[in-house]
Amino acid sequence: MARARAEQQPAATGTTLVVMVGLSVAFLLFMAFLNVVKSGSLLNESNLLYAALIFYSGAGTLYLGFGVTGIPSYVRFASLATWAGLLANTGAVAHRWYEAGHPPFASIYEMLLSFVWTLAVLTLIAEKRYGVKVIGTVTMPVAIVGVILMQLLRTEVHPLVPALQSTWLHVHVTLAMLAYAACALSFALAMMFLIQDRMKTESFLAATSLFGIATYMGVLTRFEKWGGLSVAAWNPEEKSEVFLAKGVRLFVVIPDLGWLMLVVLAAVAAPLVLYLVWRKTDDEGFINMANRAVFVSILLQVLALVFFLVRARDGQYGSLDADGLFPTSLAASPFILSGLVGGIFVSLLYLLLLWRREDLERMLPAADELDRITYRTIAIAFPLLTLMIAAGAYWANRTWGSYWSWDPKETWAAITWLVYAGYLHMRVTRGWRGRRAAYFAILGFAVVMFTFFGVTYLLPGLHAYA
Amino acid sequence: MTASHLSASRKIWQTLSSIKTGVILLIVAVIVSAAGTVILQRPATDPEEMQRAYSAQMLRLLDGLGLTDVFHAWWFVLLLVLVSASIVAASIQRFPNSWRYFSRPYKSPNQTFQKALATQAEIPIRDEEAGLAAAERVFQRAGLSPERMVRENSFSLFGERNRISEMAVYIVHTSLLLIFLGGIVDALYGWSGFVALTRGESSSQVALRNGSQRTLPFAVRCDGAGEERYADGTPKRWWSKLAVIEAGREIVRKEIVVNDPLVYNGVRFYQASYGSTGKVDKLILAATPANGQGTSKEIALGTDEDLPLDADTSVRIAEFIPDYVVRDGQVYARSAEVENPAVHLAVESRKSGKLVNVWLPPIEGFEQNASSPYKFEARNLQMAYFTGLQVSHEPGQWAVWTGVILMGLGLVIVFYLVHMRFWAVPVRNARGRLVLWVGGAANKNKDVFEQRFRKLVQEIESEIKLQSEACAPAHVTSLAGN
Repeated sequence: MARARAEQQPAATGTTLVVMVGLSVAFLLFMAFLNVVKSGSLLNESNLLYAALIFYSGAGTLYLGFGVTGIPSYVRFASLATWAGLLANTGAVAHRWYEAGHPPFASIYEMLLSFVWTLAVLTLIAEKRYGVKVIGTVTMPVAIVGVILMQLLRTEVHPLVPALQSTWLHVHVTLAMLAYAACALSFALAMMFLIQDRMKTESFLAATSLFGIATYMGVLTRFEKWGGLSVAAWNPEEKSEVFLAKGVRLFVVIPDLGWLMLVVLAAVAAPLVLYLVWRKTDDEGFINMANRAVFVSILLQVLALVFFLVRARDGQYGSLDADGLFPTSLAASPFILSGLVGGIFVSLLYLLLLWRREDLERMLPAADELDRITYRTIAIAFPLLTLMIAAGAYWANRTWGSYWSWDPKETWAAITWLVYAGYLHMRVTRGWRGRRAAYFAILGFAVVMFTFFGVTYLLPGLHAYA
Repeated sequence: MTASHLSASRKIWQTLSSIKTGVILLIVAVIVSAAGTVILQRPATDPEEMQRAYSAQMLRLLDGLGLTDVFHAWWFVLLLVLVSASIVAASIQRFPNSWRYFSRPYKSPNQTFQKALATQAEIPIRDEEAGLAAAERVFQRAGLSPERMVRENSFSLFGERNRISEMAVYIVHTSLLLIFLGGIVDALYGWSGFVALTRGESSSQVALRNGSQRTLPFAVRCDGAGEERYADGTPKRWWSKLAVIEAGREIVRKEIVVNDPLVYNGVRFYQASYGSTGKVDKLILAATPANGQGTSKEIALGTDEDLPLDADTSVRIAEFIPDYVVRDGQVYARSAEVENPAVHLAVESRKSGKLVNVWLPPIEGFEQNASSPYKFEARNLQMAYFTGLQVSHEPGQWAVWTGVILMGLGLVIVFYLVHMRFWAVPVRNARGRLVLWVGGAANKNKDVFEQRFRKLVQEIESEIKLQSEACAPAHVTSLAGN
């Protein structure tokens, strides 16, 4: 049944995709042109970053397209687009470095810049050296989300406060970016391993649904009375969130958006429910229904994203904690935004798997080869993580007089280290290969992401500026 | 009795050294640490905030369980000790085996070994010596430092590389223990606190983080401190000139900045903050006699200073308000920043004991400026600044840094140095032909090693070929000579 469906799909999706890539690249180029006209200079950082976004998006879509249609020329173009994006990205990094007078590692914006750069480099290495051609299908979306986030975060060059003026900071952050990019790559490889290892498509369905549920549950922690969704208020002049007191942000409530998110939560949860019913009854009808539910959930997710973009982009909303109306901006809610975009990407990747599984499998290296490369990547990431923590400790010792103060970021870095240490021990002493190792690699990357983003925004601590 | 005792301790040992225990302990450590980042922690958060965040009952429960100061709770320390014990036990358990590998390498392969080895090849040779010599040269070139083995009346060749790789895991584990050791030493014998000094002030008292005071065997004096700011007002650089004074003598002087501390006797002084004390360092005033006789003179008035203006009159600062506001007939300080300063001078006559309150600027209802024998005009205001010094003593940090370096080294060896062993033995194969049996083994990255082994075998083959070509003409010549 699923096969029959796959036979019908390719022609239509292939053409649609080419048209879509063409249109969106044209649109982005047009926007870039407007930007150049407005700013008058071609090679400034924001234009370069914009160019990187265009090329990475093109590359990401072409990688996806390669997956969908299996046309080999797509991957050549995708690879070319990645090179072009990397070039623009390098330009942006250099420009930033030159302008700021220090390597771009001082704020979360600058770190994202370096992270995306490293990820693109590693993607190309994985592709050229190890022949993992479709790795970009996973890494490029991550790069795109990174660049979009950068567009929203503050971009002015900020002078460094005294604590940050140290070579050790640069060492620390460079190592962190390299390590995190290697972790991202190991994650992508582990996912590909699971595909190649003939993990059931239905399990990916459940995982996709779980990811969506987690995302929307996270978004709905901001659910307010009467169906509103609270987002941080934004001060457009200072380009920062509005603070009521030190560390206490002011939240405004966007009415009705909460209900919409609740509906989308139900939609992304539906495939999981149907999957569970299928597991119980073994009736193929349910799994087909679940696949259809994924479609519906994608439509609703796009709807949620559009509504969110329209309503949170700018506008004045009331707050529960203070009188009057306050402005907000997309920049005030980078996590909701990346969650929404990420959810759509994951669902699309699932569809790709559903329709084009066999083609994907043909294009990927053998499972045990992927398993080995995953291990190699972690063998690179782990020493980097260790050195990153050590450099951070040394820097802290020179700055605050204590090499370890159990600050949340430090603690989570240690947890990340422990998770990968666990992976290595299980692999070496227990001979864990394949599935279990892949799950471990995926868990490790989830912890890395939490350390990178979650801790900065959710937990208080010394790393407040990063 | 003894037997059961023995078996019980054996059981404990086995549990402790098992990888399962290690993993369970690590999982517990991860969960507890994660909890410590989510629950507000005691020394860092002020008590009021804790009370706001949690209900009284909840707070009592969290405090009781030590969850409000996870990383200093006794059970957390116990957990770390258990983790260390597990690492030690697991390492000891596995060490003898690795040590055998390391100290007594297996050099002369017997037939069983030759049969069982996964990576091997056979190269046809003409005579034993020529084959071995060719292999020896190839081994030499590959950096394998070949060794000729003689057993009974057979010869063989052994070469290896990176034997240290067998020990790398123990290097990493030792380094981790060193780091733990340093941490424990610091937790027990280390301390850290804060000293705030104004210019010229010296102190040997450190306010520790836990609220108590510590007296240093020497004093530290601040000879000056300052701040530079960026154009947008954010601080760029803080500096303090410090001097260490011991037994009345000045021992060391250093200008410290953030990231570059002063170290004396294992005690480190870090530039941590810089700010206004809210007190006046010097207030420059022009004082003119109110009766018009005599000239105006400039005076510099400090806090707690009684300055005589003439034989009878003296002036002192009674109050300084950095940012004043008048509300409901009271003068309030709105903030500690010098935004809108007001100074209250007390002008006193020694003979009559009459005291006049002068306010600059004149605040109605408080000032008696008109009845003062002197008129004052503020010329300049210099505030007293303090430099905040973080003081710490961490005797264990050397163990930590040694551990860190050792760990870096160990990890590089673990992941990137492969212990490769190669053997070459001239044997008669199943069909009775004389061949050079070549075998290889690696302790990791076996797939890459396989390629490397093939290459090595090819090199030996071409070496043998080359040799026989080089020998052949010589043979011919010798024949001709006959």
